[in-house]
Parts: sequence; structure tokens; C-alpha cells
Amino acid sequence: MINLIADLGSGLLGKLVRIGQALLMLLQATIVRPKASSFSRLIQQLYVVGVQSLIIILVSALFIGMVLGLQGYTLLAAYGTEQAVGQMVALTLVRELSPVVAALLFAGRAGSALTAEIGLMKATEQLASLEMFGVDPLHRIVAPRFWAGIISLPLLVAIFSLVGIYGGHLVAVDWLGVYSGSYWGNMQQAVDFNGDVLNGMVKALVFAFLISWTAVYQGYTCVPTSQGISAATTRTVVYSSLAILGFDFILTALMFGGTV
Amino acid sequence: MAIDDIINIQNVSFYRDDRAIFKNLNCAISTGKITAIMGPSGSGKTTLLRLIGGQLNPHEGQIRLFDQDIAALNRKQLNQIRARMGVLFQSGALFTDLSVFENVAFPLREHMHLSADELYNKVLLKLEAVGLRGARDLMPSQLSGGMARRVALARAVAMEPELILYDEPFAGQDPIAMAVLQRLIKDLNSAMNLTSVLVSHDIAEACAIADQVILLGEGRVLVQDTPAALQASNDPAVKQFIHGEADGVIPFHFAAPALQQELRGGSE
Ligand SMILES: Nc1ncnc2c1ncn2[C@@H]1O[C@H](COP(=O)(O)OP(=O)(O)O)[C@@H](O)[C@H]1O
Ligand SMILES: [Mg+2]
Repeated sequence: MINLIADLGSGLLGKLVRIGQALLMLLQATIVRPKASSFSRLIQQLYVVGVQSLIIILVSALFIGMVLGLQGYTLLAAYGTEQAVGQMVALTLVRELSPVVAALLFAGRAGSALTAEIGLMKATEQLASLEMFGVDPLHRIVAPRFWAGIISLPLLVAIFSLVGIYGGHLVAVDWLGVYSGSYWGNMQQAVDFNGDVLNGMVKALVFAFLISWTAVYQGYTCVPTSQGISAATTRTVVYSSLAILGFDFILTALMFGGTV
Repeated sequence: MAIDDIINIQNVSFYRDDRAIFKNLNCAISTGKITAIMGPSGSGKTTLLRLIGGQLNPHEGQIRLFDQDIAALNRKQLNQIRARMGVLFQSGALFTDLSVFENVAFPLREHMHLSADELYNKVLLKLEAVGLRGARDLMPSQLSGGMARRVALARAVAMEPELILYDEPFAGQDPIAMAVLQRLIKDLNSAMNLTSVLVSHDIAEACAIADQVILLGEGRVLVQDTPAALQASNDPAVKQFIHGEADGVIPFHFAAPALQQELRGGSE
């Protein structure tokens, strides 16, 4: 029993130490005066991390919006309130589904790729070689990728919401015959900018931080072999997915918990 | 003032987890020579180069490079020292997102303020020296193993270092590429007044160009001598390594019970 507690304690301590190290790495990478060339590296990473994740975000958003439209319509029609489907689709997306689903997709699409890329750079000694040229790989490699993640995900979440709402419109209005005016009108009335849109964006920003941080840390500290890189990539997806879901609950409780 | 020993390793111990990779390692590398450090795979050759480059710090002892204790330097001083040395990494370590030209230009862009023409000429001369001027627009993924090694070599000498470290330059090369690399290492050493340190397990190739050989084993220096003296040595461990005998002082078999006990289905 004592042993069990001791093991748990040392395991927990190890985790805390790891988190501390990861935080330190992040500070070293990001607290630095940017150079002119850092900007072009950031643009390049925005393309790789953000633009290349666009397709999966667009397609998923469209389908999820369509499913919401269909489910919402069936549910609401039972009470004769199907005209409120626009409001339901929009609120579900903006408050909850867009940040969470986009973040999960982003972790799988971009987070894993970041980890694998940085890990491979480590395994092929590119990071060591930068260091020998007097260039800090934390500034050159880690920082632009981290910032690109932070900037990309909130934008992708916004796009997710817009496309999802359009998908809901396709099903509810164009297919099932809800009056277009009430789809948009109800939505406009029900969705509050500060309470819903902004809170959704805060979630997106928190998730972006969690994913980017996990991904660059796992890549940078991976064991530089093929098994090591594959294990680190898996950890990125698992850890960031769990972190997204856990933090989503906490944030939802904080944001919407008191206002029923 | 030239120092006799460009690298001086004094009582260095280094551990990975609890395992000692080096235990009280002592050796010196003389300025202007080609020194080959040899040892079997996993004996810590790459680790030793990382220690010399200041990327790892010894747990005990001291490494003096250009007569300075590298563990005691701050970041800026360390980078100044690193600018005086080139490293050819085991995997070549070319930056995969940059062309051959840009790879060789990389250290120059980072450290020197050259005009576009000066930079261009300097890079072209380095590529010419390794015979790859014509490959300047290729990407690293388009190069053969030997070519990649030569581009990495051009990049390592781009800053005209005083010291160059080679990590297994011959590993995985075909005989022709091997001969080309051998000649390049030797020629560069005399043409640029370099000190070269190469770690390798390719005994014949390394001995052919080295002035001094250091044999590593069991975390320490087994012997340091000229290649000729080693060839003639009677020390059993040296003989085993130099002549490539499978079994000897350094065992071929991982520790195990006798084979007879382990085979199944035999008579008792
Ligand atoms: N990053 C690391 N973490 C843990 N052990 C390592 C690491 N790098 C190397 N080692 C271990 O240190 C020993 C020496 O490795 P290395 O210097 O690469 O040997 P060599 O280059 O002579 O083949 C090996 O047993 C290797 O497994
Ligand atoms: Mg090695």
C-alpha cells in the first residue's frame, strides 16, 4: 500500500517535472526578439500547418453541419418548432462542435505531422547541425511551427462554423423546406457575439496552444529512432486529444455553466 | 600561437542513465594531424564528438578545445568556438528543405556578411572542391549517399574551420565513393591546414589516411599509436579489432548459457 502510494507519487512527480521541462522549452523558444527572416518562416509554416489542413476542415464541417440540420429538424419537428433549426445548428457549432472537432482533426492532421517532422530532423541530425552552426533550433525550427499552430486553429474553427452553418442550411432549408428567413433570423436572434462566438474562439485558442505545445515538445524530445518518432507521433495525437476534451469540459463549465 | 593539442580530453566520464559510456577517458589530439578514433558500434564514438562539440557536457572531467574548457563557456563564446570547427555528421544532416547551394551557403549566411557575389563565388568554390559544382540546384533528396556526404563536407568546410570532425564518413559508402572521400579528407587536411578527427569502424580506410589512431573500448582508450605500430601490435584486443577477427578478447557471443543446455529435444 505504502509502495503503491510512493509509486503513484513518483509517477505524478515525474509527470510534473516533464510538464515543467516542456514549459521551459516553450519559453526558450518563444521569448526572443523576432528577426525579419522569422516572419517569412512563419508564413511558410502557416501554409504547411494551416492551409494544408483546410480541405479536411471544409469537408468535415460541411458534413457535420448537414447532420446537425437533419437531426435538429427531426427533433424539433416533433414539437412543431422546426423553424428554430438554424439557431440550434449555429449554437451547437459555435459553442461546442467547431472548436472541439476542428481541434481534434487539427491534432491528427497537423500536430502529428509537426511531431514527425521535428523528430525526423532530430534523427537525421539536422537539429544538432543547426546548433553547431550557432543557430538555436528552438528559435529556428520550433518557434515558427508553434506560432503557426496558434494562429491557424482559431481561423480554421471560424471557417468550420461558417461552413457548418451552410451545411445545415443545405439540409434544413434547401432539402427539408424550412423557411430561409427563419433559419437566419432565429440564428441572428439567438447567437450572442460575446457569449457564444467569442467564447468559442477562446476555446479554439486554448486548444491551439495545447496541440502546438504538445506537438513541438514531443518532436523535440523524441528518441531519435524510427520507433521513437512513431511513439512520439502517437503521443501527440493521444495527449492533445485528451487535453482538448478535458479542457473543453472545464471551459464549458466556466463559460456556460452558470447561465442556464 | 599554435597549441600542440587542439583537443585535450582529461579524465572524462559520461553516463547515459546509469550506464557509463566513458569512464576516465584521457586522450589528446595533435594540431594539424588526421586522427582516427576507432571502436565498435555503440562504443560511444558519436557521443564523443557531441562532447567535443559542446552539445553534451561530461559528468566528470574536462574537455579542452583550443585550450579552453568548453563546459565553462557561455553561449556566445561556445558559438565563437563552434565557428572555428566543422562537423560532418554521420547522416550528413543536410537541411532537407534547402538546395545543395543553399545548404553550403547556410553557415556563411549565418556568420558572415558577404555580398551576393562573394557568397556565390565562395559556395561555388567549395562545391568545386568536392566535385559537385554541377549539382548546386539539386535538393538533398535527389543526391546519392556519397554525393550527400560530399555536399555535407563542402558545408562543413565553408567557414574555413581549423578543426573538422567526421562521424563515420565511410559508413554505407560504395568503394568508389569511399576512395573519393578518403582523398578529399586527406587533401582538405593539407590544403586548408586543418586538424581532422574522424571516428570510424572502417579500419582499413581510416588507417590508410590517419596519422594517429585511438582505439576505444570499454569506455576508455585501449591504445593510441600510429597505424603502422597498431598493425604490428601483439595486444590481443588490438589484434582482434585491427584484423577483424570475429571472436577474441571482445566476444562475438552475447553472454548466454552453453548451447547444449539450450537446444531442445536432445538426449539428456
Ligand atoms: N539520446 C540517447 N539516449 C540514450 N542513449 C543513447 C542516446 N544516444 C546514444 N545512446 C547510447 O549511447 C551508446 C553510444 O552511442 P553512440 O555514441 O551513438 O555510439 P557509436 O557512435 O560508437 O555507434 C549507445 O549504446 C547508445 O544506445
Ligand atoms: Mg555513431
